[in-house]
Amino acid sequence: MGQGETAAVKLKGVGDGFWVTLDPDAPEDDLIAELNRLFKRLRHLTINAKVVIDTGDEKNCEALIEKLGSHLKCNFGIGNVTQPPPKKSVPRERIRQRDASRAWTNYSNNVLMLRGRVRSGQKIEARKHIIITGDVNPGAEIYARGDIYVIGKLLGQVRAGQPDNAAAIVFSLDFRPSQIQIADVLTTGLDKPHENGAEYAFLDQNKNRILVQNYLKTNPFASLPWPEVI
Amino acid sequence: MEGRTIVITSGKGGVGKTTATASIGAALALEGNRVVVIDMDIGLRNLDVVLGLENRIVFNIVDLAYQRCKVKQAAIRDRRIENFFLIPASQSDNKDVLTTVSVERVSKLLKKEFDFIIIDSPAGIERGFENSIAAADEAIVVCTPDVSSIRDADRVIGLLYARSVTPKIIVNRIVPQMVANGDMLSHEDILDVLSVELVGLVPMDEQVVVSTNTGMPLVMQNTSPAGMAFRRIAKRLNGETDIPVKVPECKTGMWNMISKKFSFKK
Repeated sequence: MGQGETAAVKLKGVGDGFWVTLDPDAPEDDLIAELNRLFKRLRHLTINAKVVIDTGDEKNCEALIEKLGSHLKCNFGIGNVTQPPPKKSVPRERIRQRDASRAWTNYSNNVLMLRGRVRSGQKIEARKHIIITGDVNPGAEIYARGDIYVIGKLLGQVRAGQPDNAAAIVFSLDFRPSQIQIADVLTTGLDKPHENGAEYAFLDQNKNRILVQNYLKTNPFASLPWPEVI
Repeated sequence: MEGRTIVITSGKGGVGKTTATASIGAALALEGNRVVVIDMDIGLRNLDVVLGLENRIVFNIVDLAYQRCKVKQAAIRDRRIENFFLIPASQSDNKDVLTTVSVERVSKLLKKEFDFIIIDSPAGIERGFENSIAAADEAIVVCTPDVSSIRDADRVIGLLYARSVTPKIIVNRIVPQMVANGDMLSHEDILDVLSVELVGLVPMDEQVVVSTNTGMPLVMQNTSPAGMAFRRIAKRLNGETDIPVKVPECKTGMWNMISKKFSFKK
């Protein structure tokens, strides 16, 4: 068989075996003859070798592969014959989707949840996020690497996103902290008049100003497509 | 039956701890209890002056803690009120001479002889405070309606809870007129922040200054509104928990009464 056009069988050494790429549309006898020709040259390497028969994108070639495989096993002492492993590029999208849909089943608990009143002089440090069901009195200090949520009055000092998490927020039902810090931006008190209702503080896009907005009016996380683990 | 040890504390100085200790102690004695008040402000003793007993001091709490005297020698009996005693502080030592262990031992000793042991804690949250609360069964935090006092009271309440002592609170020096005008925090505002049980509200009273200077217990003067408030507090501590907490009201003049009637004022 000529080597000029696309050969019906190509052989490549892979690790401890061979990778055989063949054209399943070619006549079976031609394929066997070509395999014989190639493997005869490599007879000293074929004993117990692993052979992968790759038929390209063509499906339903199991019978052909099996036939060629048994032929190779009989004549050349090949160890085993397999099909190529499934390509990874095709199902990637599906795997990612599955990960997102189960995101909240595989989480490590990063949240410190407290109930009660944090009094003056008490300092609470959270490894990541913190949720306090109760009030934070003036003079108390909350320090967290992630977000701070106060289900109650917030009158003390809060430091969220320490040292450099600019995406952190501070949330409270009654938002009157004496000092807020998010990442490295610090502000004392609030310029705007206090309004009723839940508010939250976050860093603006330039990451140099802390903004405070009404939580329900802004509804910042409603537009997220999927509930994400933070 | 064993006595109860109650510590009067505040964190901030000058809010009326000593006055409250003297008044509550005297009022409890007037109710028929055997009461001893202890001044723990070692180095800066005041309680003896407020009670007018400074001339009779021989031994003090440090002597008692170091077993240099007996309880009977250290406790000065008040001649005006039956079963009312004072154990004064030492004026020459500092607060480090006592340890929590020695205070606990003294308290155990006193519990056998008295129904109430009222401890006047020093200001601050250092050694003197630690010593004062070491033996306490109950704590009363005194605060005035200003932000700094509330902040300190809040801190002290946190420290008391950390030592599993449940604090109660007295709001002292309320000026009803100022509260009505919105110039002073009301007791509701204070309780909103501190959220502990209220035992009493004490109005601002000029009689306190007179009584402190003359050494005449406030609760013995029937004309003093603060004295009356302390008597109610003592009754509440003595088990009469059904006495309602009386909120100080401003004196209603003619014009106030009219405007109230026609609701010109809120």
